[in-house]
Amino acid sequence: MTTASIKIHLRDLGMTFDGKGNGTSIRVFERITLEAREGEFVCIVGPSGCGKTTLLNIIAGFVKATEGDVLIDGSPVHGPDRRRVFIFQECGIFPWLTVEQNIGFGIMDRSRREQKEHIDHYITMVGLTGFGNAYPSELSGGMRQRVEIARALVSNPDVLYMDEPFGALDYFTRLRMRAELISIWEREKKTILFVTHDVEEAVQLADRVVVMSRRPATIRTVIDVRLPRPRDLDSLHYIEVRNKIFEAMGLDHSGLGVHEKSPAPL
Amino acid sequence: MKKRLEVLLLPLLVVFLFVSVWHIAVKVSGSEIFPTPVEAIAGIAELFRYGVLFKYIVASLFRVSIGFLLALIIGIPAGLLIGWFSRAFYAFNPIIQVLRPISPIAWIPVAILWFGLSDLAPIFLIFLSSLFPILTATMAAVQNIQLVYLRAASNFGVRGLALFKKIILPATMPQIITGVRLALGVAWLVVVAAEMIAVNSGLGYLIIDARNAGKRYDLVVAGMILIGAIGLCLDLLIRRLQRLDEVRWGFQSMMQ
Amino acid sequence: MSKQLKIFLTVIGVVAVIGILHFWLNVGFNKSGISNSGNVAEEATFRVGFLPVTCHLTCPVTDWINTNMVGHGFYEPVRFSGWPELKEAFLSGNLPATFMLAPMAMALRQQGVPVKIVYLGHRDGTALMVHKDSKIYTFKDLRGKKIAVPNRFSNQRLIIYRGLRENEMTINDVTLLEMPPPDMPAALYSKSVDAIISGEPFMGQTEMDGYGRVLYQAKQLWPNFISCVLVVHEGVIKEHPQWVQQLVDGIAKSGKWLDAGMEHRMEASEAVATKYYHQDPRLLRFVLSKPPDRVTYSNLALAKNDFEKIADIAMEAGVLSGPISFDEYADTTFSSKTHDTQPYSWSPTQ
Ligand SMILES: Nc1ncnc2c1ncn2[C@@H]1O[C@H](COP(=O)(O)OP(=O)(O)OP(=O)(O)O)[C@@H](O)[C@H]1O
Ligand SMILES: [Mg+2]
Repeated sequence: MTTASIKIHLRDLGMTFDGKGNGTSIRVFERITLEAREGEFVCIVGPSGCGKTTLLNIIAGFVKATEGDVLIDGSPVHGPDRRRVFIFQECGIFPWLTVEQNIGFGIMDRSRREQKEHIDHYITMVGLTGFGNAYPSELSGGMRQRVEIARALVSNPDVLYMDEPFGALDYFTRLRMRAELISIWEREKKTILFVTHDVEEAVQLADRVVVMSRRPATIRTVIDVRLPRPRDLDSLHYIEVRNKIFEAMGLDHSGLGVHEKSPAPL
Repeated sequence: MKKRLEVLLLPLLVVFLFVSVWHIAVKVSGSEIFPTPVEAIAGIAELFRYGVLFKYIVASLFRVSIGFLLALIIGIPAGLLIGWFSRAFYAFNPIIQVLRPISPIAWIPVAILWFGLSDLAPIFLIFLSSLFPILTATMAAVQNIQLVYLRAASNFGVRGLALFKKIILPATMPQIITGVRLALGVAWLVVVAAEMIAVNSGLGYLIIDARNAGKRYDLVVAGMILIGAIGLCLDLLIRRLQRLDEVRWGFQSMMQ
Repeated sequence: MSKQLKIFLTVIGVVAVIGILHFWLNVGFNKSGISNSGNVAEEATFRVGFLPVTCHLTCPVTDWINTNMVGHGFYEPVRFSGWPELKEAFLSGNLPATFMLAPMAMALRQQGVPVKIVYLGHRDGTALMVHKDSKIYTFKDLRGKKIAVPNRFSNQRLIIYRGLRENEMTINDVTLLEMPPPDMPAALYSKSVDAIISGEPFMGQTEMDGYGRVLYQAKQLWPNFISCVLVVHEGVIKEHPQWVQQLVDGIAKSGKWLDAGMEHRMEASEAVATKYYHQDPRLLRFVLSKPPDRVTYSNLALAKNDFEKIADIAMEAGVLSGPISFDEYADTTFSSKTHDTQPYSWSPTQ
């Protein structure tokens, strides 16, 4: 695995938002340097508001960093690209399209037949058989998230950026979605940058976990998770890694539960 | 089933009460000028007998539908462009905001001076009064599009005209439909004023004509009833748009 | 996709059907159809504007008689519902000729509008009405009262000024309210005003319905009272003098015809009320007969001193900003050829 080439390279990224008129600017993060290898599953954890979404937006090319640059396959990113698909924290599928139309959105330039094959394939893969003609408003939250994942996968991207994709789901759905994601990832071997503030989730999914500090955020530490998959949530090694991350974050949290969704006290 | 009955019966009950109060009020006050409900309905029957009822309804519907259609054709694309391009917004928004609150009645002289004595003048007034609700609703809708949709679209390489067709228009459709519904209401509201201009047909004309006719307030009220009833039908029709699959998501909370 | 197409086609279809119905039912209905704004073409139908009041009665009557005698009128009478719309239509050039309040025509001329008065519309035909229960019996009793007048440019407003002057009162002794004449009967009935004054038949209506009382007929306050005149665009006089002459002659003939016998007036009431005014015929019959000289239509040639009296009060009332000469706003060429005009030799009962 260590022999795989570098897919994503962040060089000394820094981001400041200009305050709108009132003169207060927000320094979100600074000196972010990170490499992700081809096919690697990297989780980014950190307290709410530390800039995880912002970081991912910059990597995806939606937002420009104020300092540093992002290299993908060695060349700098200037904007979004269909080879690297973003899965949004707030559901990003189009409510005016059916499940099929949403999934086919990224491959509309292909032939009808090819589209149909791909759509059917991914609908089955994410377990939405029979819901092809349903509209997103008729689906549950978990089903919608699966539609978005299918839409991302169908155009066969190299990279997936996932911003807390399971944040809005209930506990059991979340567990199942993680398992499904891992099985898809193992099959398709995408490079995945996965943002979460749920440490358990990070340990369960990632090859490496990047821990960010509070704002202005830096990378506190990067932890390797060398656990075989499927991961046993009760194994000692799992708990050990998890505690290491807690520890890394706990410096900022003085013992408060970090996987709670309440915003970090400033 | 029980719910359905209620939905039908309750409003009928209120209408019945309203009409009774109206009747009693006219009788008690002994007014010789204001008609009772029965007289007003007889007025409608009289219009029917003279063969003008259908004609007038058609005339008003014609003016409203042409003026309204023009407002749609111009208002939606203009609203999309002005809402999307910030330069266009800076350029046009002030004048839109200045023109918007001007009552269509204030435009009557302008309409006559520009369009003279033809159907064009009332059509122009109806166009104006329905243009602004559509325009402002569309502009606001574009500016309120959720960023995720735009980012998802740009992620898949959608831009330019395709962006308007595939993302901006459908994403704004629910809000546009709300604006359109409002605009149709206003357009129908303005028909009375618009037909004050020298036209010789229409429900608005009917009311003005009846005022000129001496003590024919039964026809005035008949005209009012007709305008109200047709307005209700138009609203029911346009409301069906909200149930289309492509836009239902935008009305979800309202319908439950 | 196909669903959007379906909605689109439905909308277009419905609008098309409404459009076709409209043109079939309403536009094809008036004989001239839709004619566009702008210049008066040689063969185009000239339009003449009027309001459904007795002051403008000769306009529909001339059309009605011509339609009956030769099968068609020589102009298209266009009915308006209020003074502002009529004035604006005239200003827009859509109306080559119209009946108009005399002071309004004079004021427009002073403001630079190319309008010429070519003939009178009527004499008298205005009454000052009070509620039958009211204690107002003389002009002096109007002190402190609310009087509704049709328009600030109306001679009905000027007649109040004249009455005030003769009774040594000023405009500050009464309150004048502008109100469209059709709304006046209801205002008097509900006693929201103390007196109303306008052209007939709206005054007669209150009398006929039993709650109005005539305080004065116009002639008691202002002999030979004129409210409305026939005006034309100056351009029309230049380009189509023969048509203007035809119009003036027609008005003169039908005016004399109306004054030639009560049976004429009764027949005209019926026809005009149903075909042109859309009013209850009883109304016109009432005001054209009770008394017969409530409104008259002979003696309509332009006379300078009639207008000088108007101009005098118009200046006091602020309608005119200064003196204006008779020749500027009036063109007597056509009117002067009507002295020997005989009434239409037509009787509806023939
Ligand atoms: N467009 C913007 N303009 C100004 N400030 C912004 C903007 N977007 C984000 N911020 C600020 O930047 C900081 C980081 O926001 P970001 O959304 O990246 O946090 P996050 O780590 O994703 O939080 P969460 O876990 O709650 O999603 C926040 O303080 C936020 O207020
Ligand atoms: Mg976030």
